[in-house]
Amino acid sequence: MAVDELQAIIQRCQILEEADFKGEDFNLFQVAGQKCLEDGYAAQLLEVIQNEKNKVIVKNMGWNLVSPLVRCILMYKQEDDKREHCLKILDQLAQLCNPKELVLGLLEQIEQTSGEQVCQTVLLLLRPLQTVLLKLQHKKAYSVGLSLAMIMNQLTPLPVPYTKQQIQEDKLGLCQCCPAVVEFAKPFVNEVVKNMEKSSEYNGTELKEELLKFCMKSLEYPLLTAQLEQLEGIEEHPFRHFATEIIDILWDIREVIPLVFSYRKGRCPDWENEEFADIERKNSADSLACLSYLVFVQHFGIDRFPVVFSSSYLLQCNMMHIEVLLKRTEESVLSKGLDLLESSLLRVEDNGLLRQYLEFRDFINVPQDLVKVMTLCPMEHLRKKSLSILQLFIDKFDAEGKYTLFRCLLKTSNHAGVEGYIIKNIKDQIHLSLTKTRDNIWFTGHHLISLLDLVLLLPEGAETDLLQNSDRIMASLNLLRYLVIKDGESDNQTGVWTTLAKIEQNFLKPLHVGLNMSKAHYEAEIKNKKENRKEAHSSSTVCSVSVSGERMPAMTTEVQLQVLHSALFTFDLIESVLARVEELIEAKVKAGMDENR
Amino acid sequence: QVIKKEGSGTESPMIGDKVTVHYTGWLLDGTKFDSSLDRKDKFSFDLGKGEVIKAWDIAVATMKVGEICQITCKPEYAYGSAGSPPKIPPNATLIFEVKLFEFKGEDLTDDEDGGIIRRIRKKGEGYSKPNEGALVEIQFEGRYGDRVFDRRELRFEIGEGDNYDLPHGLEKAIQKMEKSEESVFYLKSNYGFGSAGKEKFQIPPDAELQYEVKLKSFEKAKESWEMNTDEKLEQSCIVKERGTQYFKEGKYKRAALQYKKIVSWLEHESGLSDEEDTKAKSLRLAAHLNLAMCHLKLKEYSQAVENCNKALELDSSNEKGLFRRGEAHLAVNDFELARGDFQKVIQLYPSNKAAKVQLVICQQKIREQHEKEKKMYAKMFQRLADKDVKSAATLQTSHTEDAEMKDERNGVEDKSEIDTEA
Repeated sequence: MAVDELQAIIQRCQILEEADFKGEDFNLFQVAGQKCLEDGYAAQLLEVIQNEKNKVIVKNMGWNLVSPLVRCILMYKQEDDKREHCLKILDQLAQLCNPKELVLGLLEQIEQTSGEQVCQTVLLLLRPLQTVLLKLQHKKAYSVGLSLAMIMNQLTPLPVPYTKQQIQEDKLGLCQCCPAVVEFAKPFVNEVVKNMEKSSEYNGTELKEELLKFCMKSLEYPLLTAQLEQLEGIEEHPFRHFATEIIDILWDIREVIPLVFSYRKGRCPDWENEEFADIERKNSADSLACLSYLVFVQHFGIDRFPVVFSSSYLLQCNMMHIEVLLKRTEESVLSKGLDLLESSLLRVEDNGLLRQYLEFRDFINVPQDLVKVMTLCPMEHLRKKSLSILQLFIDKFDAEGKYTLFRCLLKTSNHAGVEGYIIKNIKDQIHLSLTKTRDNIWFTGHHLISLLDLVLLLPEGAETDLLQNSDRIMASLNLLRYLVIKDGESDNQTGVWTTLAKIEQNFLKPLHVGLNMSKAHYEAEIKNKKENRKEAHSSSTVCSVSVSGERMPAMTTEVQLQVLHSALFTFDLIESVLARVEELIEAKVKAGMDENR
Repeated sequence: QVIKKEGSGTESPMIGDKVTVHYTGWLLDGTKFDSSLDRKDKFSFDLGKGEVIKAWDIAVATMKVGEICQITCKPEYAYGSAGSPPKIPPNATLIFEVKLFEFKGEDLTDDEDGGIIRRIRKKGEGYSKPNEGALVEIQFEGRYGDRVFDRRELRFEIGEGDNYDLPHGLEKAIQKMEKSEESVFYLKSNYGFGSAGKEKFQIPPDAELQYEVKLKSFEKAKESWEMNTDEKLEQSCIVKERGTQYFKEGKYKRAALQYKKIVSWLEHESGLSDEEDTKAKSLRLAAHLNLAMCHLKLKEYSQAVENCNKALELDSSNEKGLFRRGEAHLAVNDFELARGDFQKVIQLYPSNKAAKVQLVICQQKIREQHEKEKKMYAKMFQRLADKDVKSAATLQTSHTEDAEMKDERNGVEDKSEIDTEA
């Protein structure tokens, strides 16, 4: 029946002129064709379409069959003959139909899929789409751009497989799809390359721009969030392959160098439409950062990269990208940022970075971002890595740079642990400058005193929370102890003896007061608790803590006592170091006085 | 180390110029690791800015157009002990053959239309450059053809160049300069005075201009911890000038912001040498005094008092500090305190007439206050009976008080100045 209907409409149209095809003719053709497919007469439909006499009809009306065709193909199993027939029909359509209309038909199909079917559909339609686009000759740029954009749009909502298992499973087919998309784009790339070789100015700039947009998009998705390290057991890592291909395309269209340095030079890729330029600029930050990561950490495409740039210049260029990456919270992106920073820093020699680099905004923001990662990131391995990279960062600067960095971080980190770490660094630097013969003005004399003012103080005087700041206070006391021991009063290289009075007033005295207050307070608490324990175990908690919606059990008195005791222990520790320091100071002062007599 | 093979041409490129070359690089063992010829793309970079390895910055600056030379680079002038993964191992000596194709002055325009070209005579320091709104100090000479039409030393804010007869192309150029840099700028007419020309300087329309500029200093926007003491002192002076400028224009809030910077930078600065300390103290004193003045103008009296207090901490018998504090007290009717301040002024500076006037006013106010209070207390016992009468009386007294206050204030304004010395 269906076939007969089809034959009927075909015969009618065969006699008509192309211009006389009417709307209802189109409809009838579509309905008939659709019915054929649904009823399983794909083979017959194929014959009709392959028939030379029907060429004109197919050319005009064929594109309407795309939708039912795709549905059927996805429905039928692999081995089914009918599927084969449908695929052949699709091919024929690609050859015969009006390219413009068919492109729209195919893209419409892609646009309408979602979820699990996306990759399947895309994989299916890539080749016919490519055939059709190539037929468009010189006006293809817009359509190519549209196609690529549409495909990427549909892929973007899909989650990117991250773990080895996920990649191997590839539930949604993304790992297959991405390489296929790159293959799809290749002929267009070749065309651009050929045209570029012919002349420097040519009409194909539009096509190049569309390809550039595609690459930028790919850098953002899926590459930015993909796992790109070599994985054991996976030989052909789909995303590494994809990345390599994308970068190859960028090299071929000569866009790698301009992109890598675009921020530095203050010029962003030229977009035709000025309005979109601003939006693109924001979106492109992620893509450019990803590109830098791919080139400098994974070394994709680096063999074509000029090996004449100085390492410090590359570091400058990459800082902006690093900042972009470090501001994100996803593990995949954050770890890329840390890797990029690490690899860029490793290229620079120790003490090689001049203090002037800190005049760049991003050189100051990045260590602060590292501090944020160190203190706030929930993933331990990233916290640890961040700390080690911070140390690397510090090591690369010259003495003046280190000095400035220390001041910066002491003032901005607001975290006792970080401050303690910095103070330890300061101690190391002082040690270096005292033991080496080379005169280091930054960690001795009045510069040091200025720095010590920041270090040897209690943030809120005697009322500082000693427990919370214990890391910092211990580090400060250790530093002071070191100075007192190492720097003789007669030498006074560090200048610590001159400011001793100030230190005593601002630091040591309030510390005594604070310690006494805290110890008294905690001892009183302990006494209270012990007395209360003898009374009823009433659960009148002052506050309750809930984690993930579950209420934490109130701390038993035992545990509370433990906590209080450990606090007291900390105070004792601080006090003992404090006592030792004061002992040493007294001893030295006395020795000095004895000498002078 | 440089070994030349061939050469031709006359001039060599200068710092900042954009140079274009073709090159090939080898390791000592003969492995070729890079060549621009393979990429079929000439390589361009800005000379002398540390963009490329040191050996290149030094060597290419000595080349001439058309020259081909071979450079042997020791690791210290190349990639040092870190190497450059993946191709360059640590401590590698590199050999390059470089051909210089062209060089041109640096194009500073956004669109690369060649409208502003720079040739650097002397490189600047550091990496920061003035931005929009920065206060810069320049020394420059403007030329049209052979004639010098403008030669000045000038201090101005970027963005207000028009008021000083500077073409906007020059402002753009200055924003790309580093401190102490000396450069020559070639401006096309659309970045110069355009089709209008400049009558004042006898510049015809569509003229191409040449400016030789030295950027002496500029105000940088930095955090306190970012600057060392010298920079802070230097910037404080600049910022004080700026504050003064704003004050003269009646922009008190902006002026206050400038002075606040001085305070925040220098307030906790320690470890200063004696000379630096004196300078810092005087700057802080000026800042607090001027801030007090600004706050008085903005009627923020408690802040004015605060600043006067700080000023007096630095200099306890400072005339202006005492006077302004007195004014602030007066304005909020703390007559006793105002009187105290004015009395001290007169005591230390007997020639200060304004203080005498203020003192008289204070005495008067205090008397009135007492009387008012006396009346109030007296009337309190008769309150119920005389309610209406009393309220009318107090209204009257407050009216007269307001009128008197206004008179005083006018008098005060005439006498007040701002600290431009120190």
